[in-house]
Amino acid sequence: MAHIKVVRRSLRPEEWTDMRFCWLKRYIYDLSEEITSVTVREAHQVAENRYEYYDETPRELKKGDLYFSPDGSAFIKADIEIPESMQGKEVYFCLKTSAEMIVRCNGFYLGGIDPNRERIAVTPYIHDSKLHFEIEAYNRSKPDDERNPEVLATRGCRQIFEGAYLKTLNNTVQSLVYDIELLLDIAKSDLFNEGFRELVNKELNNALNLIDFDAFRTEDAAAAAEYINKKIFQNKTYRGNGNVALIAHSHLDIAYYWRRIHSVQKNLRTVLIQLRLMDKYPDFRYTHTQAFTYETLEKYYPEVFEELKEKIASGRFEPVGAMYIESDCNIPSAESLIRQCLYGQSYFRDKFGLTVNSCWLPDVFGNSWILPQILKKSGVDYFVSNKMSTWNDTNRFPHNNFIWRGIDGTEVFACVPPTHFITWNMPSQIQENWEAYQEKNNGGQTLNMFGYGDGGSGATEEMIELMHRFDKVSVMPKTEHMSAKDYLEKNFKNNGSLECWDGELYLEMHRGTFTTKSELKRFNRMLENKFRNAELVSSIRRLDGEDYPAEEIRALYKKFLVNQFHDILPGSHITPVYRDAVADYTEINEALDRIIGSGKGNFNTLSFDRQNITFVEDENGNDIREGKKGFWRMPCEGALTCIDFEKASDDTSWIHIDGLNIETPYYSIKFASDGSFESLFDKKLNREWTQGDFNKLRIFDDRPGNYDAWDILPNYTDRQFEIKISEPLHFVCADGECARFETVLSTEKSKWKLIIRIFRSSRAIEVENIVDWNEKHRLAKMYFSCNVLTRELVSDTSAGFIKRDTHRNTTWQKAKFEVCQHKWSDMGETDGGIAIINEGKYGIGAYRNEMSLSLLRATIRPDPTSDIGRHNFSYMIYPHADDFIKAGINRLALEYNAPLIKSDLTLERSFSPLLLQSVKLSEDGKYIVYRLSEQNGARGKLPLGKAYSVMNMLEDVIAETDLIEYGPFEIITIAEKL
Amino acid sequence: MENYINNVLKPKIQGDGGEITFLSRDGDKVTVLMQGECSKCHILDRCLEWAEQQIEKDTGEKVRLEGIRKKPYFQDV
Repeated sequence: MAHIKVVRRSLRPEEWTDMRFCWLKRYIYDLSEEITSVTVREAHQVAENRYEYYDETPRELKKGDLYFSPDGSAFIKADIEIPESMQGKEVYFCLKTSAEMIVRCNGFYLGGIDPNRERIAVTPYIHDSKLHFEIEAYNRSKPDDERNPEVLATRGCRQIFEGAYLKTLNNTVQSLVYDIELLLDIAKSDLFNEGFRELVNKELNNALNLIDFDAFRTEDAAAAAEYINKKIFQNKTYRGNGNVALIAHSHLDIAYYWRRIHSVQKNLRTVLIQLRLMDKYPDFRYTHTQAFTYETLEKYYPEVFEELKEKIASGRFEPVGAMYIESDCNIPSAESLIRQCLYGQSYFRDKFGLTVNSCWLPDVFGNSWILPQILKKSGVDYFVSNKMSTWNDTNRFPHNNFIWRGIDGTEVFACVPPTHFITWNMPSQIQENWEAYQEKNNGGQTLNMFGYGDGGSGATEEMIELMHRFDKVSVMPKTEHMSAKDYLEKNFKNNGSLECWDGELYLEMHRGTFTTKSELKRFNRMLENKFRNAELVSSIRRLDGEDYPAEEIRALYKKFLVNQFHDILPGSHITPVYRDAVADYTEINEALDRIIGSGKGNFNTLSFDRQNITFVEDENGNDIREGKKGFWRMPCEGALTCIDFEKASDDTSWIHIDGLNIETPYYSIKFASDGSFESLFDKKLNREWTQGDFNKLRIFDDRPGNYDAWDILPNYTDRQFEIKISEPLHFVCADGECARFETVLSTEKSKWKLIIRIFRSSRAIEVENIVDWNEKHRLAKMYFSCNVLTRELVSDTSAGFIKRDTHRNTTWQKAKFEVCQHKWSDMGETDGGIAIINEGKYGIGAYRNEMSLSLLRATIRPDPTSDIGRHNFSYMIYPHADDFIKAGINRLALEYNAPLIKSDLTLERSFSPLLLQSVKLSEDGKYIVYRLSEQNGARGKLPLGKAYSVMNMLEDVIAETDLIEYGPFEIITIAEKL
Repeated sequence: MENYINNVLKPKIQGDGGEITFLSRDGDKVTVLMQGECSKCHILDRCLEWAEQQIEKDTGEKVRLEGIRKKPYFQDV
């Protein structure tokens, strides 16, 4: 017998409740008065707090008018006198918008308005009846909003003004709305007890039956509230379990779908909203990251900053996250991460007398194994990051509250909260957090962050009101609203039962960010070295009695650190953010060149003798490398001193070329015409290095979906595109040291020139790439299939090496099909291997004996123009005897990334065998600081010859010593007093 | 017109995550390609109207803009 599916055409009981709930919200406001005297002046922001106005004078703004323009700000003014009917009552300023607004009244910063808030209390702050509103509005909200999807329908560059009003609140109705909001969330969530949900549905219906919506009376709303209290809140039949800490927070991307200059206003709005909530709710506490945001507030809004300082002093507004900004933690070097902490903590200490003991990185795309040591030595005991629990695409990260052990053995407490860092404090979100929490038995409370974020904003009145009701709901976990410091210390500090994760915190997602926007990565690597050089030469000059440009270097460093923000350096941002970053990098580069100055000598800035082939810039050189003329020579010595070179002879008898067959002192090479090696036979070691495609360019279809700039999916290998050979590999020129070969490859839209350099005195083979890249949805990789039996890829982290499996036995290994490296990666056997040394390529894949160096992507979201244009980059292939440590691969990679500079200086302190990672003037100007790094995993003692101060990374003197006893991968800071 | 759209209007549109590119002109009808956030914007017509006003204000030419949306592949369903 056939059945007909019954379609219910009338209201279900739950729908009837929802409908009346919507009606109830119409009575939230008692009195309403439209503000009719409103003007607007539209502008385009050109710098931090600088605008170009479109009109000379403001224009009238009426309900229904269009306002805002693309990339625009709007300055709105409104005047009204509080009507008599509202006198003596609490009056609110109300405005509905999908934009974001900062509201001042009679010169006082009242608060913020945005898609999640439509009203601001006026009368607690303004006691005059004449009100003059000044509103700075900007139309750069985030592209997604899970809570308010309806905002997406009206989001856009041109908005319709929906009017501005003064209103008074019906507190009885508003309170009832919060009660019902809370209970409906529970009733609609499968996470709660079914019996309780049935009870809620039944009693909410009964409660709303007490209200006659045809003749609304506040007394009836009060009766409904009383009914709910009696029938639901006082019902203790049902019991929940769990213990959840609630911490208010707002994630603020410094740049993303907006530029860095706009984050000044986004931050002000966020801070203001939280300060005003603190005024209203004495128990409310809030956490806020990034010293940079506090700096901009201090600079542009000193009166708000003073108010903020009071709230910080009272412990209610809590700076968290010791870093200057929420840095990417894959690509920046150890020294950059140290500076993030140094400049962040210095600011917090200076302004608030605080050393922040947490590193708070909710949205960062994975975390390098080198971090724990850096954090611990920067006064940080606790690390917090949500990403691994909520974004991993393959494996469930097995901990939430745990100990993280770093590369050198340093341990910090780590919290990876079970759920997202943006929640709106709904019971179902809190329950979900508890249910997902994996340390229920040994981790104490679970952490639930609440507050809107990405573009700032944070907690709302609703979130706090709901929080105040949680204790009344028997099925909910126990909750406690806490500061971050209290939460972390309570649950971690003396907790001896936490488990330990020893390794990197690899995010199984966003693997494309190692490669997207190649130019930013190139600049980052180059400038990290150039900062080192500028501080080194400035320190040497300071030791000779000259001035040290401390202020200038600090300002440049901070600008550089801002660009390491996790949506800038990783490449996940819109076009203008990229332009800003390149402009910043160019400015920094020029300034650092000025600081470094010039000289006649070729100064080796490294603290060890150079051992590998070196490109010496020289106007009379016969090679052009990355646009600079010079020649190649093999140096013999010269740590921190000048090295003399003679130009190579013209004697080319060291190389024999027979078409694509080449003989050098090191190799017998058989090239393919596309620049790949069919054979690379090592004459000295008597072995073949290739086993398949080697130095072979491959271009793949790369379509990860919505998170286009962020992700590379494992299916990228499914579809590969043909690469044509426009110019087969051919010999170009040679001198007594270097021979140059070239080939031009092409796709339909792009041209790819490979310049291959082979050397007389070195095993190194350099490949320069000059690319006119005009692709979409493509990933270009260079493949190296090595004739080695290995199950490991060894990669530089900038502060030691990390080994990763190259087999795919388990899902954990499968997920790491693309990983982050720093200057080099190596595949080897015990007596030999091959290193690929790069100068700004951070993404690499490895499978069995094959490495694939990620070179370029072509993504379209958020930036449809991403990576299009000319690229010029190089890498070095370095086959070697012995393992990567004996072969000195790390030092070779440092040499490759630290070109000689023109200078006549020397420094007679090398601290060998440790690496002199950085030399600088201490922040207080009293010391020259030396940062030393052990990078080979060795232990030893280093006599210093005289007494030095031992410092932490915040430059606090903690001891004196004339002997360093160092451990594997240890970073040590010592200083000599001036 | 092509210069004005690609050099004056484009940077502003890019400021909101959008993208506008001049495609062709036929009399007073100018066709532009709208990508990025513009490709899915529910109120794109308002933005094009603004662009027409800007063109008239800055170049003195009165044109009608026709925007062709090019959605990214992952939304093109």
